[in-house]
Amino acid sequence: MNDVVSVSQKNGQPSTQIYASRVVAPAVDVFENADEVLIVADVPGVTDENLDIKVENDTLTLEAKRTAPTGELPALAREFEELNFSASFRIPAGIDASAAVAESKNGTLTVHLPKAAASKPRKIVVRSVS
Amino acid sequence: MLTGWIGFDDTLRALDLLQQHMDRAPDPWGSLARRGVGRSRRAPEAAWPLTNVFEGKESFFVKAEVPGVAESAISVSVEDDALVIRGERKSEVPEGYKVHLRERAPVAFTRKLTLPARVDADAVSATLDRGVLTVTLPKSKESLPRQIAVKSS
Repeated sequence: MNDVVSVSQKNGQPSTQIYASRVVAPAVDVFENADEVLIVADVPGVTDENLDIKVENDTLTLEAKRTAPTGELPALAREFEELNFSASFRIPAGIDASAAVAESKNGTLTVHLPKAAASKPRKIVVRSVS
Repeated sequence: MLTGWIGFDDTLRALDLLQQHMDRAPDPWGSLARRGVGRSRRAPEAAWPLTNVFEGKESFFVKAEVPGVAESAISVSVEDDALVIRGERKSEVPEGYKVHLRERAPVAFTRKLTLPARVDADAVSATLDRGVLTVTLPKSKESLPRQIAVKSS
């Protein structure tokens, strides 16, 4: 729903143009355990320098630029465009952003967001009083 | 018979209220799913992998998006003048983790792409870089354009 539709008048006839956004959201898995939040995203064709991961307050933003193909030959079939990736997620409070680690392999990005010690579930020992 | 006609405005208002309700969810993961920009682009498993095919003067080039696929898990072959890409993309839920969002399913794929001209199967090469497979298929000698001399009689 990010297409911007603009309707204008041209020679008394309404004309509509749709500007499609030039980014796509990558396919993503989000997992969580007691120690960390794990985000796995498919970002094929992206080099590490073009990957931008930001954690700000309660938001994790992932942005990746794909190098636009130059001098491309005529396409007989085109099922994907080399669009830039962009996605943002709300992350729960208690993430130690400074300890976040990201690695990419085979075009898949994995981001580890460790939970700050204070927010890890702490077991409370029950002592019975006889 | 149409009774209780729901006006267009009411429908939008109902959706709006629903959205507000979702935004106010106390669960921090309530609206985790996405507030990102951009349309989501996931190849439905049946269409894996998404491919682009280009034609040069002397070769065809096929580019396929195969994120998460290791070199050992993909095979490229030429069968009857068609390019066949077979492979598997594993995607497991790590043990002991809770799932908040799951968009990357494991996929076993086979795609057959028939090209408009014969190719030299022995000269086909493929590279895998950062989840993008690029296959170069040189056209066979018979398919290359041949100039025909015009002689005046």
